[in-house]
Amino acid sequence: MSEIKECDLPGIGKKFTLELDSGDKLVVVIHSSGEREVFKFIHDNDEPTSVTKLNDEEAHQIGAILTGTYFQPVIEDEQKLAMKNVTMEWIKIVPDSTLANKKIEELNIRKLTGVSITTIIRGKHVIPNPSSHEIIKLQDTIIIVGNNEQIKKFIAKFEIKQRLEE
Amino acid sequence: MIVSESVLSLGISLIALFFAGLLATKINQSLIAVFIVVGMILQNFFPVTIITEFIATLGVIFMLFMFGLEFSIGSFFHNQRRIFLVGVYDLIFNFPLGMLIGWILGYDLIHSLLLGGIIYVTSSVIVAKSIIDLERSANPETECILNILIFEDMFIAMFLAFIVGIGNYNHIEVKGTLFVILKTTGFFAFYIILSRTSKKLIDWLVDVEHTELFVILILSIIVLSAGVAARIGLSEAIGAFLAGLLLSETKQRQRISEAIKPFQQFSTAIFFVAFGMSVDYKHVIYLIPMGIFIFIISSFSKVMGGYFIGKRYLLSKKACLRLGFSLVPRGEFSIILAGAVAMNNNMPYSLKSLAGVYVLLSAILGSIIMKESERVTKWFVEKKDDEIKQIKENI
Repeated sequence: MSEIKECDLPGIGKKFTLELDSGDKLVVVIHSSGEREVFKFIHDNDEPTSVTKLNDEEAHQIGAILTGTYFQPVIEDEQKLAMKNVTMEWIKIVPDSTLANKKIEELNIRKLTGVSITTIIRGKHVIPNPSSHEIIKLQDTIIIVGNNEQIKKFIAKFEIKQRLEE
Repeated sequence: MIVSESVLSLGISLIALFFAGLLATKINQSLIAVFIVVGMILQNFFPVTIITEFIATLGVIFMLFMFGLEFSIGSFFHNQRRIFLVGVYDLIFNFPLGMLIGWILGYDLIHSLLLGGIIYVTSSVIVAKSIIDLERSANPETECILNILIFEDMFIAMFLAFIVGIGNYNHIEVKGTLFVILKTTGFFAFYIILSRTSKKLIDWLVDVEHTELFVILILSIIVLSAGVAARIGLSEAIGAFLAGLLLSETKQRQRISEAIKPFQQFSTAIFFVAFGMSVDYKHVIYLIPMGIFIFIISSFSKVMGGYFIGKRYLLSKKACLRLGFSLVPRGEFSIILAGAVAMNNNMPYSLKSLAGVYVLLSAILGSIIMKESERVTKWFVEKKDDEIKQIKENI
């Protein structure tokens, strides 16, 4: 971590100087009025190459972005949008299930329906990303992922009756 | 009768100040110079009444109080070595020069001392504002400039107390001078020790919720302190300055500043107008060449002094020159000094008028010089570089 030099500018505010690894200097002046100014000095130049003025609120936002704690709500909406078309489904393997006691590769699930089995929950054991040799047993719960159509196909194909709500 | 007439003339002064100030901000000039000019014009229409004079006195008191309040005594003690180093340099370069000029002009010792102070003290108000406007707050020389200004303000505050004390004797004698120095130091020491030791008590004292009572309490502290200073034969301004210093470390500092600011802005404006009104019109024209002469000499010494201080701080040539040019504007303190002591009118040049001309020149030209210093320094540095190149080529 590089050292931050702090110094008072009486009548103006406070100055913080950060020497960057590149040899440039970044200087932040916090005015008593609450205004912030960010100056960039290239190497030993004694005049700033750029000056950015920020008000209190803008400074908080920029600060949060720089520390990596700021997420724009817009991006969150996009994520929701992306998740809209993808569904996860929990399915319990009951005694008369067509899936019971079969290897995953035998069932050819992905080819037939497009759905993937992401996890098998067997009692207290959890098998994430099960291999194709894994055998699905009675009383297992499997978690599958696919879009709505793929899930519907899966349910029709393997005659699933018992679905667990999320 | 006098009171109601004064009210009208006050109203006229204020509206004139408003429009002149509006114009000044449009062309980015300092308000101080404009207010003085307004005063000089207004003296043709009505005289300075005792009421304007009273408001002007309050103006000085509030101005000094705000200086004290914004003066960070913590950072003063924290950086004292640096501040003293640059400050003493600046003092040596500029103060004796003013005294010398005063002596050449035929002033007595008190007036020469006053002229020394007037020429020595840079305007912190104009310079700090220009630094912010010109986006130089992060420049390497700025720290240095502000340290110089702190030293100057502190020095001139003490000097003001001293010179007013001396002025009361009307002439300088060893015993009286020693007594005044003792009084001044004692007064300063009392406040500084109080502010260092009784922080909690003062904090508790000014922690008043009620807005109106709060304003009254703060005003009473300021005016009482100023009054006591005047009673013991020092300047009122210094009492106010020290009251500001005392309150500057309290938690209420921001609130005090907000409460007093409107009073200060109003009365300080009237102070500059009253000063302008008391500057003798006919004298001024005759004093302009002298004013220009002093301005050129004193600007040169400021720039030189600044340059050397910069060199000591290992700043680049450009930064050194910028530092020097930033010290040229004179303003509020010079005006306060010029009005501080009752003048002896037998002097060959009226010190008050001369100070008026000088401050007008240096406030207006000084801020322009600060702005244009970029060009001058570039020219200067490039010329030097060229000379060096030529010398090298010749070799």
